[in-house]
Amino acid sequence: MTTSRLSSGGAEIDRSSKISFKWNGKTVNGFEGDTIVSALAGSGHQLVSRSMKYHRKRGLLTADYWDPNCFVQVGDEPNVRAGHRKATNGMDISAQNVWPSLERDMKSANGLVGRFLTPGFYYKTFVRPQFLWPTYQKVLRTFAPGGAVDHQSQPLYFDKRYTHPDVVVAGAGPAGLAAATAAAEAGASVLLVEHDHAVGGHLRWGSDADRDEAARLEAAALAAGVEIMTDATVTGRYDHNWVSINQRSLHASVERLVKARAKVLVVAAGLVERPYVFAGNDALGVMTAGAARRLINLWGVKPGTTAVAMVANEHGDAAVADLEAAGVSVTSVVDGRNGEFVSSTTASKGALSSVTLGDGSTVDADLLITAVGWTAPTSLLNMAGDRPAYDETAARFFPTKLPPEVIPVGGLVGDGSTAQIIEHAAGVGRVAGATGISARRQLQAATTRAAVVDGAEPAIPAMPEPLGRDPHPELYRSDTHGMVDYSEDVSSKDLVAASKEGYDSVELMKRFTTVTMGPSQGKLETVNAVAVLAEARGETIEEVGTTVWRPPYAPISLGALGGRIFEPERVSPIHPWHEANGVTTILAGQWIRPDHYGDAQAEVTNVRNNVGIIDVTPLGKLDLRGPDVPKLLNLLYTNKWSKLAIGSVRYGVMCAEDGVVLDDGVTAHLGEDHYLMTTTSSGAAAIWEWAENWLQTERPHWQVHVTPVTTAYASINIAGPKSRELLSRLTDVDLANEAFGYMRVRTGTIGGVDDCIMWRIGFTGELSYEIHVPSGYALHVWEHLMSEGADLGIGAFGLEAQRIMRLEKGHFIVGQDTDGLTKAPTAGIGGLIKLDKDDFVGKTELSTLDVASLPVLVALQPVDGSVVPEEAAQIVLPDSNDIIGRITSSRFSPTLNRSVCLGQVEPSHAAAGNIVTVLLFSGERIPATVMEHHAHFDPEGARLRG
Amino acid sequence: MPTLGKKVGSARYSAGGLLMRGLRKQDWPRVWNDHDIKKKYDVVIVGGGVHGLATAYYLAKNHGITNVAVLEKGYLGSGGSGRNTAIVRSNYLTPEGVRFYDRSLELYGNMSVDMNLNVMFSERGHLTLAHADSALRTMHWRAEVNKLQGVNSSVIGPDEIKKIAPSLDTSAEPRYPILGALYHPPGGIIRHDAVVWAYARGADALGAHLHQQTEVLDIICEGGEGPDGKGAGGKVTGVRTSRGDISAPIVVNCTAGWATLISDMAGVKLPITTHPLEAAVTEPVKVFLPTVIVSGSLHVYVSQTDRGELVFGASIAPFATYSQAGSLDFTEELAGHVLELMPGIAKMRLLRQWAGLCDMTPDYSPVMGFTPVEGFLTDVGWGTYGFKAGPVSGEQMAKCIADNKTPELIAAFDLARFGEDRLVGEKGAAAVGH
Repeated sequence: MTTSRLSSGGAEIDRSSKISFKWNGKTVNGFEGDTIVSALAGSGHQLVSRSMKYHRKRGLLTADYWDPNCFVQVGDEPNVRAGHRKATNGMDISAQNVWPSLERDMKSANGLVGRFLTPGFYYKTFVRPQFLWPTYQKVLRTFAPGGAVDHQSQPLYFDKRYTHPDVVVAGAGPAGLAAATAAAEAGASVLLVEHDHAVGGHLRWGSDADRDEAARLEAAALAAGVEIMTDATVTGRYDHNWVSINQRSLHASVERLVKARAKVLVVAAGLVERPYVFAGNDALGVMTAGAARRLINLWGVKPGTTAVAMVANEHGDAAVADLEAAGVSVTSVVDGRNGEFVSSTTASKGALSSVTLGDGSTVDADLLITAVGWTAPTSLLNMAGDRPAYDETAARFFPTKLPPEVIPVGGLVGDGSTAQIIEHAAGVGRVAGATGISARRQLQAATTRAAVVDGAEPAIPAMPEPLGRDPHPELYRSDTHGMVDYSEDVSSKDLVAASKEGYDSVELMKRFTTVTMGPSQGKLETVNAVAVLAEARGETIEEVGTTVWRPPYAPISLGALGGRIFEPERVSPIHPWHEANGVTTILAGQWIRPDHYGDAQAEVTNVRNNVGIIDVTPLGKLDLRGPDVPKLLNLLYTNKWSKLAIGSVRYGVMCAEDGVVLDDGVTAHLGEDHYLMTTTSSGAAAIWEWAENWLQTERPHWQVHVTPVTTAYASINIAGPKSRELLSRLTDVDLANEAFGYMRVRTGTIGGVDDCIMWRIGFTGELSYEIHVPSGYALHVWEHLMSEGADLGIGAFGLEAQRIMRLEKGHFIVGQDTDGLTKAPTAGIGGLIKLDKDDFVGKTELSTLDVASLPVLVALQPVDGSVVPEEAAQIVLPDSNDIIGRITSSRFSPTLNRSVCLGQVEPSHAAAGNIVTVLLFSGERIPATVMEHHAHFDPEGARLRG
Repeated sequence: MPTLGKKVGSARYSAGGLLMRGLRKQDWPRVWNDHDIKKKYDVVIVGGGVHGLATAYYLAKNHGITNVAVLEKGYLGSGGSGRNTAIVRSNYLTPEGVRFYDRSLELYGNMSVDMNLNVMFSERGHLTLAHADSALRTMHWRAEVNKLQGVNSSVIGPDEIKKIAPSLDTSAEPRYPILGALYHPPGGIIRHDAVVWAYARGADALGAHLHQQTEVLDIICEGGEGPDGKGAGGKVTGVRTSRGDISAPIVVNCTAGWATLISDMAGVKLPITTHPLEAAVTEPVKVFLPTVIVSGSLHVYVSQTDRGELVFGASIAPFATYSQAGSLDFTEELAGHVLELMPGIAKMRLLRQWAGLCDMTPDYSPVMGFTPVEGFLTDVGWGTYGFKAGPVSGEQMAKCIADNKTPELIAAFDLARFGEDRLVGEKGAAAVGH
């Protein structure tokens, strides 16, 4: 037990407030303010996890969010970053991917055969015998790293927030704080987002003076009106500065997605300390200098007793001072600036016992800290299109080219004293503030709703002089090989081997070895990996280049991304009646519709004999107004519309440009320059878009106004021989056949409701009236119809009965009886295609189309009328499995007392009277007759015209 | 005719080889070699993805044509081959589609042995969920066509789905409940990068030259009706690259995303628009999802890798672009829909997102074979399903080149069909069909 709690110190723990939690079943104590890892370290637990491949013992390396060795399971939450997550009372924390226990993990046996498990070893083995591979694969899958998902866990509440600040600042270190404050003082609204639990960046784990400076900067930011969000990460920068922020530590929810349309994004991500690559660099007790400083200064934890320090910068020097102040005996300081280095370590039971230096000497130690340089986390800059370039003097990557609305500050762009960095960032902040305000004003001016633009146009100051770049030794790999990617267990030796094998570009190496593909996505590993590859190839880091960092900057939960589900359920205003009357509903897109009320076959019979009503509210309805409506109708439909008289309706079919059937429906000429178009229910939204698309992009000079009124009217179809009698009891409109014939439309009062539209059409094949009632009165009209029709034998009918009746009549349903290749002429509507029109959508294609080889839609009747072939049953040649068509619709017809179908059949088999073979799902083959007409029932239409 | 086994010889991959090299501390030989670019090749293949490399491999293996160059502007597999979600299946809607992809699946199934490189093919079953009656009807249609073609697929109900994938919410609770699924046991996932490397290694061993970081700047033609001798009636004489000119009587366009730009260089217009398709991957968790899950209505497909990550994809964006930047909207919609299917994974975290480019044709089927320019062939227009078709495309394109005749298996996919109303009806099955 080499880590322990110091008797005093620790700026972020409250020693008066003790907490305790379970760690692998045992109780661990800590203080309010501890992270899981600091509490574990403070109570002497060094071992936190096992590595992915070899199951080597791993302890803290960076003691922050990016620590690759500190992933734990907390309750039902997998992959919790113990270096970042605050410990709280009662947490149930356990090690991941170990069996039977963290201390004794059987899979550590892999380490014994490590030299055979070279990168990508699985590509080279398990090839033969082939039949064993599934078994091998099952074993491989048990090695998958990570925690476990509990599929029974309670659903959680996730919400989202939208915000529109002038400036978003990512990172609240000294540079981010200064930039945010300056931008806010310039008048901009500023959102400052800090990844860690508190602002101040590296000042937090520095000296008391550093912490005072951080407090001063924070106070200034608050005074300037900056909104500060901690424990939140800017996870992505997308097109047009659409910025995603993952906010953690909320009381109400695990995480929250905040979406900001930033006018300017200031990136102050700081620098990530790089580990050093040498043999034994993953022993317990080897950590970055930053980790040691955080342990001591934030949480009062002593990271070891006897230490070796390899330092190559001031940060390392400060860490040595911190160690000594904490009572750690620093027996050897290896100065990387003088060319000194650490060569290897030895460990006892996984824990560091001695360190061998570059000069060959060996020093006993239980702690080794390294301060060998920095990785610039340029992820957000990558997302804005930057491709950073390597500077060998400063030994890190710097941005090259960014859009003006994305501005980096702080360590990403240079070095200097804290004061210099603050001064530079404040200068940038003033530019960002003014630019953000200016951009906001432009947006306001461009928005017709904004009568007044806020404030005066700001003068945009000049950018400050760029920061300098301090020289830093290039320290990546020692004279030995060690871990490069801790989370993936990939060593520098593996990378060299991969390069020699031909996977010698960064991207190929990454894909072959999986280096940088783990949970920290290369924040710690990328530059070391690139450096090792450069060394292997005998090239410079600049020549090798780097991989592209993709969003998100830090992982974000699916719950936060998904948020609440906003999927509307649509029901008609008559729905309460359906529910009160034993309806069985069916989902039709967003709509919930009546399918039947108990017995669809009886519903059919009732319509054929008496009268029935069906709620068809989802029918798409577009109100068309303007002098050019006929032109639009002529363009969208295949038939002619110029001469449709006021008071008449017409059926039409629409095609896409390729001549394929797109939609169908009835359109009525209601009055001067006024039409009502109906579409299929499923096409309601698409056809509105379709019409608007043609009007807005192709025919912008046409005077047509399209208003979707699908839900403004409820639609009811009154069908059956007694429908005229029924409707006449509710309306003053003259319904006599001579006064209101088939395919005519009238407007009037129904059941006391004004402005109803009624037309005579017949999807069911019966005398029928489709009425469109202002939806607020629909339930009243429906109930009125039901009561007035009681003595006529009225019954409600649902979609199923309607489907049977339309099939009896041979009416096709777009998308069911037609498909993505059904050209209009093959759907049996040849008479509606008017190629002599000037133009219509699909005309070009249909003019040159040779339909002779295309499948045609026909009506079919199984010879044995008691058999109903399944929809999608294939039509095949009698003696083979060659497909010549399929059944698209089938039902048992109560009217005809036999089964009836529609189907697509190849033209050579489509002649009336031809017998085809239908292959049922069971495998049985049955004969069916191709019918002369689509209509199985009343092909002359006598019933609906009467 | 050269054979892979002989040429590869000492570099043969096996457990024994791993053991010996481990003991002797020996490195493996290069998986493929670097060559200087020759002035002349018999065949130049543009695009170093699965399609291009497979074409090169089968040219050598099946037809003894080895004086072949594959030109890749980035690194091998940097385009769609490295960006797809690695799902393979053969339960298509049309007999043409089924025959074609079934051959591809067969080649994938045997690839590890044939190519002596474990491409980690995982035949784990493929479930296409139906959330509506109409979708269920299409599933039945596909199942019936598949049955007649000898492809194992059937429609199953929620109870059986729950048995296969217990993490799915098969209750009536979700906004769009799962009504059934098309179950296709032979479908699965494969390590897509390994497929690229296997073909690259195989093609290299048999003599093809693979040139990375070599961008094609122009295609040199003569005799065509267009400017510079390009276009119909002309013929190809070579390509201009960022590393110099190469003469070649045959140039094959095996690119995706840039297919139209490359074909334009020969004066051949393709009916293709390019759309981005996004994908994402989570942090790893212990393996719980045994099959591939696809939901067309929810625009999502998901599978879990052997490493424990969930890999997600969606449908193509409705707009055309060459940008491969990811979008926030995609991850939001994706997560929302995935959580409708599997509400228990809300605390899993999205680790990385990316996009690839899809070349969409009017009938969601590829453009393969000869063009009006002699010697210029295409294997393009692969939409969202190019990876699935990689092996069979390579095999058939090689045959097409070697025989100078369109093989029957790809005859339906010729460029001329767009002028002759012979579109292939795969739109229904391929729209979100992964």
